[in-house]
Amino acid sequence: MSRRSRRAVARSAGRDRVLTTLLGLVLVAAAVLTLLVSYGVFGTFRAQRPVIDPLLVSWIGTHATATRWIAIGVGVVLFVVGIAWVVRSLRPEPRPDVALSELPGERLVVEHAAVADAVRHDAETIDGVSRARVRLVGTPQKPALRIALTLVEGTDVRDVWADLDGRVLARAREAFAVSALPTAVRLELDASAAPTPARVE
Amino acid sequence: MRLLLRVLAPLFALLLAVVGLGIVVETVTLWVAPAASPLVVPWPSWRAAVEGLTWQSGSVRAVAIVVGVVGLFVLLLGLVARRHDVYLADPVPEVTVTTSPRSLARAVGHDVRSHDDVVSASVVASAKKITVKAATLDPAEEVRASLRERVDETLLRLPLARRPRVAVSVTTTKGVK
Repeated sequence: MSRRSRRAVARSAGRDRVLTTLLGLVLVAAAVLTLLVSYGVFGTFRAQRPVIDPLLVSWIGTHATATRWIAIGVGVVLFVVGIAWVVRSLRPEPRPDVALSELPGERLVVEHAAVADAVRHDAETIDGVSRARVRLVGTPQKPALRIALTLVEGTDVRDVWADLDGRVLARAREAFAVSALPTAVRLELDASAAPTPARVE
Repeated sequence: MRLLLRVLAPLFALLLAVVGLGIVVETVTLWVAPAASPLVVPWPSWRAAVEGLTWQSGSVRAVAIVVGVVGLFVLLLGLVARRHDVYLADPVPEVTVTTSPRSLARAVGHDVRSHDDVVSASVVASAKKITVKAATLDPAEEVRASLRERVDETLLRLPLARRPRVAVSVTTTKGVK
């Protein structure tokens, strides 16, 4: 199993998950520490001290500039991390055009919609496939195909594979002039008893 | 959970950015033009509210507990929102084939329900385990054996990357056959 085809299976939520988990950890750690201090685990006198500790206040008083820079630094880091995360998280998954040739004077790019439509039409002619959705993911230099096939009840998955690889993907590979095109196929099994009627175009 | 993460993650991100911006703005205002402080965030009133509280105060504990519960939810959200794809064996090296647990359950459920002796059935599937619960009017033990065979046949037709465990339970219900 190639890594690129595996990555094309679905949009990764890895970044969202890691950052969310970190945020949760920080919140839980802060709460637990506060409760530990509060219930006197670090000494009964510590628990009786004010939350705005005079020691801290006097340190800030003597190191005003340092405190400012620390606060500004923390603020900037939070802001940058937050904005980068928002942008990454809200940006739609790119649909790359495929660059067939980057040579100056003979640059050749195939639009995403053209590729996706061609492969979809091919895939929908496979026996037992009632619906196909196709898109490209990845970068223009390293595109990967993502295909969602809805199979009619009782279709043999192996036949579909043979057809898909032998005909549909072979044609796509030929068109792109590549020996291997990373592809992620998602099957919806037994979704309907009969092929859906052709859509009005 | 994945959908919830998709919705909440940008909100968390926005929250972080806003907190960061607030800290920078207030710090710079206090430094450059102390007379204009506080500019947006009313932090002096917050400070006045916290002043006089000790770590033992009930409100400090309450806030800590609330923050802890929220944090636990956020932590779980991050940990639980993983993919549940069921992988099929790769037909060729550069092709990955997956299906959804729901789809697998539908395929198995279809075969189970087509059995003559099964009155009703429910199927829950994941990549690791398929649980079939069926009701029949006949003695449960015989139906169970044939259902098991049928599910195994279905799985043989589906080239799954790893064979899930199959648990079949059959109950006899009362009724007219």
